[in-house]
Amino acid sequence: MNRSRTWILTFLLVAGGCTSYNHPERAETQMKFGTDVAKKGLWREAAFRYEQAITKAPDNAHAHNNLAVALEANGDFARALAEYKKALELDPNNNYIRRNYARFAEFYTSYTKTTGKAAGVP
Amino acid sequence: MFRRTRVSAAVLLALAVAAGAAASPEEVKLRLPLKAKLPLRGNERIALAPFILVTDAEKARDKRLQNVDLQGEFHRFLKKQLEKKTKFEIVETPADVKLPTQNLTELARAQEFWASVGAQTNSEVVVSGSLEFKVEDRSGYKTEEYTSPIDGRTYYRQVYVEQTGFLFDIVFLVFDGRTGERLLQDEFKDFRQTSSRKADELQGLFENLFSLENQILNTFVARDREAERYIFKD
Repeated sequence: MNRSRTWILTFLLVAGGCTSYNHPERAETQMKFGTDVAKKGLWREAAFRYEQAITKAPDNAHAHNNLAVALEANGDFARALAEYKKALELDPNNNYIRRNYARFAEFYTSYTKTTGKAAGVP
Repeated sequence: MFRRTRVSAAVLLALAVAAGAAASPEEVKLRLPLKAKLPLRGNERIALAPFILVTDAEKARDKRLQNVDLQGEFHRFLKKQLEKKTKFEIVETPADVKLPTQNLTELARAQEFWASVGAQTNSEVVVSGSLEFKVEDRSGYKTEEYTSPIDGRTYYRQVYVEQTGFLFDIVFLVFDGRTGERLLQDEFKDFRQTSSRKADELQGLFENLFSLENQILNTFVARDREAERYIFKD
């Protein structure tokens, strides 16, 4: 009986920690919600949530990184670049942010590279 | 007392699991747009002109290359892909259109020639360039690690591995059909290796082509590609 109560308590704590969206005024709640919707491909909602998180915690490098990823997914590359830079400025030794930035930089360079000029376009 | 300790341990474990889950980033996949390299409207008439065949000189030496009509196969592939995945109108240049030179640099500069091809085919865009296809026998001895079933120790041994490599190098030249001016020069390269000595060259050629398909089409139309990024939960 005691053992099962212990396991139920453990489960509730883990589940509660993973899924609770209480306290929307907190940056962590917005981050958590943003990440959950991002994993479902709802990048506009995710970007909005990360912006909310940044409003509440402007020095959170993770939030700036996440916002950069969401902006990238929404095709807003110029803003994504600015957010990646901000994230790196706040946490320059974070390997995950650095990796994201390197991958983005590779893509963005080829994306902005101007090649050729229009044929038959007035 | 014992019960309290167990509950505390469970709480700590739960917190540790939750904290760990929150701290480690998660990998997510995005679809990133790739802008078309040529800013076209999307409904132009495109003429496919002949390409310089860089492998022609080697054909005499390599019997397997003699079975491959590189020009024909590439034209057929390009026409099919462009017709299937874009709204361009694709035409082939008449058979009597011969390239003025077999030198790629000079071909890129032959503005008058390309303007005349454009006028002849009534095309806004003309595509040409060079094609190089190589079949390489890569068989040979390779060092392999092996664990002896007798003494369980690891040894190195030489094993003969049969492999064939297929190299495809395409240089694309795209011209304005009205002025003959070069709009774009781009190169696509692919190398495939199969674990067989007598691998079919046509199959190898198409493996190369299908792996380059997205890049080739991206010259004319927007494509997208999958990318991975990390996001944090806290």
